[in-house]
Amino acid sequence: MADIPLTGYRALDLTSLYMGPFCTRMLADYGADVIKIEPVSGDPARDEGPFFHDENHPEKSGLFLHLNVNKRSMTTNIETAQGQNIIRELAKSSDIVVESFKPGYLENLGLGYEDLVKINPKIIVTSVTNFGQTGPYKNWEGTDLTLYAMGASMKTSGQEHKYPLKIAGRIASFQTGNLAATATALAIWNRELTGAPEHVDVSFFETWKGAIDRSTNDLVAYSYTNESSKRQWNPGMGIANGVFRCKDGYFHISAAGAIRFPRLMKMIGKGKDLIHPPWNNPNALNRPETLELFDSFFIPWMLEHTKTDLRNMCQEQGVLGAPINTIEDLLNDPHYIQRGYWQEIEHPETGSVKYPGFPFKLHATPNPERVRAPLLGEHTNDILQNELKYSNDEIQALQAQGVI
Amino acid sequence: MPKLPLDGIRIIDFTVVIAGPAATAKLGDMGAEVIRIESIQEIGTGARTTRAKITKEQMETSPIQRRAYPDGDPGERPWNRGAGFNAHSRNKLCMTVDLKKPEGLEILEKLVAQSDVLIENHATDYMERKGITYDWLKKIKPDIIMVRMPGWGTHGPYAYWRTFGSTAEGHIGRSALSGYQDMDSSHIPWVFPADANAGTIAAFATTAALYHRKKTGKGQMIDLALAENILNILGAPFLDYTMNGRITENPGNRHPSAAPHGTYPTKGEDRWINITVTNDAEWNGFCEAIGNPTWTQNENYASTGSRWENQDSLDEHIQSWTKEQDHFDAMHLLQSHGVPAGPVMDAGDAVRDPHLEARGYFEAVNHSEIGVHRYPGMFFKFSETPLKIRRPAPRLGEDNEYVYKELLKYSDEEYSQFEQDGHIGMDYAPHVP
Repeated sequence: MADIPLTGYRALDLTSLYMGPFCTRMLADYGADVIKIEPVSGDPARDEGPFFHDENHPEKSGLFLHLNVNKRSMTTNIETAQGQNIIRELAKSSDIVVESFKPGYLENLGLGYEDLVKINPKIIVTSVTNFGQTGPYKNWEGTDLTLYAMGASMKTSGQEHKYPLKIAGRIASFQTGNLAATATALAIWNRELTGAPEHVDVSFFETWKGAIDRSTNDLVAYSYTNESSKRQWNPGMGIANGVFRCKDGYFHISAAGAIRFPRLMKMIGKGKDLIHPPWNNPNALNRPETLELFDSFFIPWMLEHTKTDLRNMCQEQGVLGAPINTIEDLLNDPHYIQRGYWQEIEHPETGSVKYPGFPFKLHATPNPERVRAPLLGEHTNDILQNELKYSNDEIQALQAQGVI
Repeated sequence: MPKLPLDGIRIIDFTVVIAGPAATAKLGDMGAEVIRIESIQEIGTGARTTRAKITKEQMETSPIQRRAYPDGDPGERPWNRGAGFNAHSRNKLCMTVDLKKPEGLEILEKLVAQSDVLIENHATDYMERKGITYDWLKKIKPDIIMVRMPGWGTHGPYAYWRTFGSTAEGHIGRSALSGYQDMDSSHIPWVFPADANAGTIAAFATTAALYHRKKTGKGQMIDLALAENILNILGAPFLDYTMNGRITENPGNRHPSAAPHGTYPTKGEDRWINITVTNDAEWNGFCEAIGNPTWTQNENYASTGSRWENQDSLDEHIQSWTKEQDHFDAMHLLQSHGVPAGPVMDAGDAVRDPHLEARGYFEAVNHSEIGVHRYPGMFFKFSETPLKIRRPAPRLGEDNEYVYKELLKYSDEEYSQFEQDGHIGMDYAPHVP
């Protein structure tokens, strides 16, 4: 096995659906041995689409396949005494336990942080939950939409006269998983220095309160002025900043500011106008009448150019700009191919399918290729037999009782 | 003070705008000594504030600018007062040096020799033009870790392209997946998660490289392409294309297979609640919470599938109920019936929120030029290691004495010379706008 940064660490993954599995996927990508404990009926993510060829089948969920690469799957009914024993035995040989149950659930089963520390005094337990381990909302329900609305600056997202907009897909959950992985890696680092265990408390709600792209800015601005930010199409970001229709689609231009705006004017053949008002007065550029004047020639100019032309012109002139692509546009893009970004992963139910690659590359320790997501309970017998030394008879009995 | 996880790790912070600072914010919180490298001869793109010496008149043209400064006042040194910078730069230090002068690089060289990590998020050629390459760093400090986070990575056809996270998100297909279903892509919401996400992952990557160094004694370079990082968190829509050849349509705030799932108006101006029901148990809880009005018995709403098919009329019924509710009261009512519901919170709601209060999320911090304010606190909590804001965001050049004299061992005479030569200072040079 390749020696990459987290090689040698074992993570016991008690999570399901979105944010927990994303956390353990990061740990697995960078070397950890992740044992995914699934209920006998499987991680509910297996019931969620998109499905391969639209067949609703537990081994064909694109969501599940994406989230669970590089992990082993073991089924265990955690609500039975035998199931809890299996978890305890695995916790002994694990460095990390990741869980996303309601606070108190594992404690009631005798599997809480304090219980696990007694079994394994150096354990790192990462709890990644909707609202964290404490506080009045800790047992509340939440989904990608409701938690994003509470945590992030959704109120500033969208048009003034319409309702606020969420973020695409399940990015809100996945980012919470990313933060949990980062916190876990740091907790393990600390344990190597101190030998001490740690309970890491990651809250979806607070992950997005702490999002530096917008939320922290708004919170500190409120603290400074007692004013909340409002929802605007283009919230004061200035001239030549937005997504514009072009000849063959849409193109995102970001050219506000003293450095980039003159470059944009040169790009569209208006370089000579820069010495005349209003273009020569930086304070006038964001006035509504200037924006209107600008749009009167910029919008038609954009419509005459293709995404490819615009992209090339932008890069030549040092203007920030990129096409609004779909996934289809990306797969043939020479850049990602040359970087070897895409990964073809074989799976018995789907054949070979392309997946997004690793989020970053460590030059000294390149990641080995990913292993496909496990079939439900694929490694149950192997782990029980070879690691926990259960006999065949014991395994059969567990099966008969519905524990595994 | 108890030891923190990254005590003793020194990080040279060349970051600007959002993605890079989001990484060093996490590492600084964990105890690393993060030293921001700035210059009094220029203000980097979005490094502190959009312009160094903003006036009240300039602020009037942009409400965002006004809110960025305490009491809407730019003060004597506006660059130390920006909300964005002061939010993410807690627990960091700041030194100034002019890398355009030859001795600037010599000063940096001395710091590199005593550091563990250098993090930057500029266009790929920016650092190369300054001569700060991995090879250069490695010669000075063989086990250094260099974290680079340009838009499209450090190699490949687009390696030298310039971008913000926002423009990269258009390129990788994220932007096309959000917005109103009845409006085109020129109306996408102006909120971009790529930078904050890449920042989180860069902190993870730095930690991974520290493990490698601990095991092998070797440093390395990390290539974190912003575009590739955000692609990695698309998942399902990506596989829908590679498995089924289908381009996922922008679902707005709706769910691909369940309803109700949306944002509904409540009492008050611009107040909203999000309600999501993805199974029958939640639906029954919802109906009970709102008093089982007769429309809920309609067979159009009897199953998850039929609710999804009839979501337009369903949404109208729900709105007629939410419009009469207070957004927080409705949340409490629905949550008590097991329904995922949450108001769209603004910053004012957040600072008054009892849950965040109970968890001690906000921390009061005293900044020497702007006084005491409450700031967003830690990204996550550790049970055994108390993490907190140990110092406010650094003023420009605040830690010059410490870095130049204590760390780099320059004499008082040399320090004064660097001051005269425009390296050291706490004010931008007169020519900086």
